[in-house]
Amino acid sequence: MIGKPHWFKRRKYTGWGFTPATWEGWLYIIVAILPFVLLMGVSPINQTRMILIIIWALIVCVDFVDIVIHLPKDERDRIHEAIAERNALWIIVAVLGIGIAFQAASGAVSHALIPQVDPFLLVALFAGLLAKIISNIYLDKKD
Amino acid sequence: METKIAYYRNKLSMTQEELAKIVGVTRQTIISLEQNRYNPSLLLAYKITRALKMKYVEEVFGLSVA
Repeated sequence: MIGKPHWFKRRKYTGWGFTPATWEGWLYIIVAILPFVLLMGVSPINQTRMILIIIWALIVCVDFVDIVIHLPKDERDRIHEAIAERNALWIIVAVLGIGIAFQAASGAVSHALIPQVDPFLLVALFAGLLAKIISNIYLDKKD
Repeated sequence: METKIAYYRNKLSMTQEELAKIVGVTRQTIISLEQNRYNPSLLLAYKITRALKMKYVEEVFGLSVA
């Protein structure tokens, strides 16, 4: 891919993803962002510009994912990352659960026939559950 | 887990950075190992043993007796 994983390091204390570790990394970030600024900022967006923005966004997204997957990590980093991600997920699931419970309770109080729960919250929980099941099946078969 | 990494590394006049590079981990991991704060995988323990020119893992790593 375009960006090299060793130009970056794992973002530890300020969110997810990666942060530049070398000048090549900073240059890559600038080169990735610059087309958006040029295409969106210079003049009104027409259809051609919109298509170019979408194509560039796709390229950048695929490259970002590739960098994240291949970031240089040793076994200690992997363990720390896994524990941090697990803790983050527990909080996310807890907040989602509270949100769903709150929406269901609000619906019940207002005597709605079917409690109105945001489907995106349910889909998020279900997708997470699915990812966990698939991960466990894969890991059990792998080793 | 108790390690003698620092002892054997100093005997070879090797820096933490050099050892980290040889075994493919970060310097932070070597520091954690030397301070007995991190239990390495068997593979990493073997790599470190070899990098320190030792024959047996037990010479470098040992169980701490509480």
